[in-house]
Amino acid sequence: MKRAALILLVGLLVAVAGYCTLYYRGTREHRQMLESPAPELAWLKKEFRLGDAEFERIAKLHDGYLPRCAELCRRIAAKNSELQQLMTGTNVDAKAVEQKLKEAGELRVQCQQNMFNHFLEVSRQMPPEQGKRYLQWVHQRTLTPEHDMAQRHGEHQTMDHH
Amino acid sequence: MAGGASRRPMNMKENQTQLERALQEWRVTTPLPARFQQQVWKRIERAEIPSISVVDALRAWFTMVFARPAFAVAYVTVLLLTGLALGFVQAGHKAARWDRQLEARYVQLIDPYQRGQP
Repeated sequence: MKRAALILLVGLLVAVAGYCTLYYRGTREHRQMLESPAPELAWLKKEFRLGDAEFERIAKLHDGYLPRCAELCRRIAAKNSELQQLMTGTNVDAKAVEQKLKEAGELRVQCQQNMFNHFLEVSRQMPPEQGKRYLQWVHQRTLTPEHDMAQRHGEHQTMDHH
Repeated sequence: MAGGASRRPMNMKENQTQLERALQEWRVTTPLPARFQQQVWKRIERAEIPSISVVDALRAWFTMVFARPAFAVAYVTVLLLTGLALGFVQAGHKAARWDRQLEARYVQLIDPYQRGQP
């Protein structure tokens, strides 16, 4: 009986050891990514199979892009605030509102251009195939709010039909 | 003294004779209960089978089965493979979930519209 119990225990320990080994090996790369200073960029490096030199160039581009993006966001927010003030008054100046809307729109276009330029620059630092894949991927997820709206609209229509 | 001692076996003999006579004259008039014989056999069978608990049976089975080296090796191998397979699958699921999270975080980082701005 003692021998049987020992074998039973050894089997269970071997199973646990096997599980832990493959689990930790399988998640090691991701744990390292999550522990890195910029996990999102580490993910980009893994996903688009970037070399160290390519990654460093992209990280620099990223660091340069973020403050520009933040500045444009700040200006758009300020423009939105001005527009809000114009709209809350008793006598709404239609021409002034129109002007502010135009300016806010221009800033949004500028923001999107900034985004697009950044994506383009990033894709150029990648190997050609990966760069192409990056542009396609990023295009599907950004710069297309209209696509998202159309999709939602389509969903509502489909639901209405049912 | 000697007469008293010889009278006791005489009495015993008489009693024995009387008992034998009484037994020979004794007739059972009460009917036996239904399926009496069957029940007697069942009781005999039950008494013959030794009663063992489930735990004892399992213990005996384990001892017998694990005494065979081939079975012990197969058991450990199967458990090892099961552990490895579960670890591999679980790691895959976990890695895929982290991938999705990091992808979403990267998109939010580069696209202010995804963060609810501007």
